Amino acid sequence: MLHRRIYQFLIVYALGICMLFLVKFALNLSDYVIPSPMEVWTTARQVFLRYLVNVMDTLAVAVIGHILSIFMATVVGIIGRLTSGVGSLIKIAAFNIQAYPIVAVAPIIFILLGDGPASRLLIASMICYFPLLLSVLGVLTEPVSDIEHFYRVTGRLTWQLEVKIRVFENIAKLTTVVSGSATLAMVGTIVAEFIAADAGIGYTIRIALYQSDLAKILVALFLIGIWTSLYLVCLEWLGHLIQKKWQR
Amino acid sequence: MLIECHDLNYQYPSSSTQVFQQLSCRISGPGFHALFGPSGVGKTTLAKMFAGLVKGFSGEINTDPKVRVLYTYNLERLPGWSVVGEHLTEISPPDTTKHLKNLTESFGIEECLKNRFSRLSLGQQNRTNLTRYLLQDFDLLIMDESLANVDEATRETIILKMKRMFSQKTFLYISHNVIEVAKFCKDILVLRDVQKPPQITVIKGQDHTGEHAPDRQALEQTMLEIVHAS
Repeated sequence: MLHRRIYQFLIVYALGICMLFLVKFALNLSDYVIPSPMEVWTTARQVFLRYLVNVMDTLAVAVIGHILSIFMATVVGIIGRLTSGVGSLIKIAAFNIQAYPIVAVAPIIFILLGDGPASRLLIASMICYFPLLLSVLGVLTEPVSDIEHFYRVTGRLTWQLEVKIRVFENIAKLTTVVSGSATLAMVGTIVAEFIAADAGIGYTIRIALYQSDLAKILVALFLIGIWTSLYLVCLEWLGHLIQKKWQR
Repeated sequence: MLIECHDLNYQYPSSSTQVFQQLSCRISGPGFHALFGPSGVGKTTLAKMFAGLVKGFSGEINTDPKVRVLYTYNLERLPGWSVVGEHLTEISPPDTTKHLKNLTESFGIEECLKNRFSRLSLGQQNRTNLTRYLLQDFDLLIMDESLANVDEATRETIILKMKRMFSQKTFLYISHNVIEVAKFCKDILVLRDVQKPPQITVIKGQDHTGEHAPDRQALEQTMLEIVHAS
């Protein structure tokens, strides 16, 4: 699993870099527009450690934001599965709010909360929260009639059992959704850092952008890709463990 | 009277097709009764109405409030997080341990207890599902094709065992097997299309208990009556 993810990223990254150099040499562009391979290598050696710390900072915020959004989506999903007015309201609200681009609200968050980690965390959570919520709501509101029937007619169906049945029956789907939303958490954090934060790899890329230093941006992208892949691998492995333990 | 319905009228939601028109019938227990009829005439719908799982009909279904009706069907599954044995123990009321052992032996599912439900054959799954319902407190158990995919000999063993073990309970057995319902059931409610009144006819079955060999001629006569009525 680990090898596959890393290989996939390395192949995509290498293809991207090759394309870039191909364009550079084909159009005879200056090093100022697209740096030479040697310049990229020199920059990598210079900034690697600093960028690594920045990526770890971003990843930490993304992971916490992701965990927060999983927790919120689970709680709201459990309430939303109710057929009562509250449940319907939550479902309608979730469908409508998720249609709005959360990034557009980010400046308001920075104005209210400042450019510290709280804003980054909130934006990261919000960006991956709604897709997660929709999936969790979909799973928890869909009855598994052929299993639930017995418990329902014998008066044994508690809400905890209902949630357990529905989660168990959709564990593979939920694991995939959680892994998929991890990328969104990372995207959310970087976007937040682009906009106004004062730390993280997004902030570093923003500075590199102001300096028009593509070499630095390429190094940052490499580190983001590797660490996002590692995080995804961790989540997939956890999901695999849960499935294996439950379906043993 | 265990359950009785008068002038039932029903059509499926978002459909203009009438399923029941002025349908009246009764099930007086205890014993093994059958609901028989071709596919699509509304057997499952009527059974679900008896169990209180389908609403939105006109007419009356009268039953003693103390009567506990359970409805089971052949596509039910047990949760996959534990083995069948653990599940059966978990859902068995404390005083039914002896029943559980007895039923698993008679139904031939002892070997299944260590496995997960998804690993069982369809016949084993249906027998396991029926077992857990028999362990519950009920007065009327509606079995909607609950013995589908079970071979004929085992089906016979199961029905006879149920009749002996639960002689004070009432069963409504939904099946497409005319020989089986004619042989083992007491009252056979033959349901037919709404366009062919009367929509329901009650035929006396042979109510075979396994003590004596069934009267072959009488059995054939019952089967003919069922076929005519359906």
